[in-house]
Amino acid sequence: MTASTFLFRGAAVPFRPGETIAAALTAAGLRTFGLDPAGRETRYFCGIGACQACLVRVDGVLVEACLTPARADGRVEPAEDRHDRS
Amino acid sequence: MTDPDLLVIGGGPAGIAAAVRAADAGASVMLVEMRPALGGAFHRRPIEGVEPWPIGREGERRWARLDEGLVRTGIVPRLRTAFLGLDGAGAALLEDRVAGRVEACHPRAIILATGALESVRPRPGWHRPGVVTAGGLQVMMKETGRIPEGRILLAGSGPLLIALAGQLTARGRPPVAVVEAADPFTEMVAGLGLLAHPRHLAEAAVHLGRLALARVPWRRATVLEAITPKGDAFEVRLRDRRGRRTTLEVDHVALHDGIRPNDHGLPAANETPGAGPIVVSAGDGREVLGVVAAEIDGERAADRALALIDGRPEATRDHLRRLARERHAQAVLARVFAPARPLDPLETLPDDTVLCRCEGRTVGDLKVLFTGADTPAGREIKLTGRFAMGLCQGRFCAHWVAEASARLGPDAPAPRPRDLTGDRWPARPVPIAALAAVPDAPKR
Repeated sequence: MTASTFLFRGAAVPFRPGETIAAALTAAGLRTFGLDPAGRETRYFCGIGACQACLVRVDGVLVEACLTPARADGRVEPAEDRHDRS
Repeated sequence: MTDPDLLVIGGGPAGIAAAVRAADAGASVMLVEMRPALGGAFHRRPIEGVEPWPIGREGERRWARLDEGLVRTGIVPRLRTAFLGLDGAGAALLEDRVAGRVEACHPRAIILATGALESVRPRPGWHRPGVVTAGGLQVMMKETGRIPEGRILLAGSGPLLIALAGQLTARGRPPVAVVEAADPFTEMVAGLGLLAHPRHLAEAAVHLGRLALARVPWRRATVLEAITPKGDAFEVRLRDRRGRRTTLEVDHVALHDGIRPNDHGLPAANETPGAGPIVVSAGDGREVLGVVAAEIDGERAADRALALIDGRPEATRDHLRRLARERHAQAVLARVFAPARPLDPLETLPDDTVLCRCEGRTVGDLKVLFTGADTPAGREIKLTGRFAMGLCQGRFCAHWVAEASARLGPDAPAPRPRDLTGDRWPARPVPIAALAAVPDAPKR
């Protein structure tokens, strides 16, 4: 069985069914998930949707990565992609 | 959508117990949970194919009973559904994140069972990516069964640190150390109070036994002073009871300084029939008394809500007695885990220490606000200083900013955390399109 993946900044990130985006990105070795609208690095902190530090965009919609299950072939982008497009 | 008698916000033990109790009494119930699964912090469910985290036989029995209640009453929880707030007309706005839309719901009563939030005291470096809350680390472990690679340090204060350290050790991944600001062993007199609460004592004994076997240092009366990035790792500085400083190199830091009700941006309690929906709080979101109390309090809250909307009798005397017992246990734990030495006042931390994580506002930024002729009030600290202004709306800094401000401006009334957070909702992102599409639901 091939593992499911979603795209984060265009790169495939594997995940297990039911896993949150934050868990999958962390397992992939990422500590920061790009920038937030205030220009600060987003990151996992409280895990329960309270600190709002792990916001990402899923198909354009801003969500907490720690609450949102990863979806096969979904597109996840940093909350704010303006400042760090390479 | 049919409007229920009772809307329960939060699918932890308090919310599930409340929902089941109300349904057993014949009320129609809607139970909503923001995460993809029920459980709450203690009973958090693993993802498919992962073994449930060991929570002890008694904990497993309690979960089985809650689960059985849901099956018996036929309550189907609405998962991934966030409560946004009450609108001006008293409608509860629910964001269905699966369907991507916001719905208005008109229950007769609402039970808020949103659980607890961790307190994390600011210290230099606490805002760095890779520094998480102990609860945040636990969420990931319980859901995914995975523990992050590398050396883990647990620091702060409170029984959760020991519990988490014991769980990590049981999984063969003991933390480098547990740094605890209190000195529970010297609080013998306070600790004797725990003899009346064998459940807590037994739990502590299991965890401490595991730590002792694995030779994990429990560094009591010690504080984590600063976290400095060092390559991909962190150098942390500890200060012990005699003021001696040592450093450690670790890969992950999990901080925890106790828990408090997660009551941010929620509507106020309303026990007046006819003045909008009845609103009753339950569980740790009302008062932090722990997982056993949460179930008891959920049942109490359900009884209360149904008494207010239908005049049903409340059978709560036994509930209140059992809650009082849990309250006593928490009071003992609070004494046992009181800091061994006074913690450094926040305004004495280095000026570049971040207080407001979202806006990156620092101790130095706060002090500048207090250099003018007039001492700023809480609202000015927010509006001019931008403290508690960011995405989390002060959930993680309002208490600390209020505490430091009270000391920086002793001539003025101390600002309350609420002056900084305000009462605005929603306190999380909602797509404007989803919010704009809320239908005008029929009035009951």
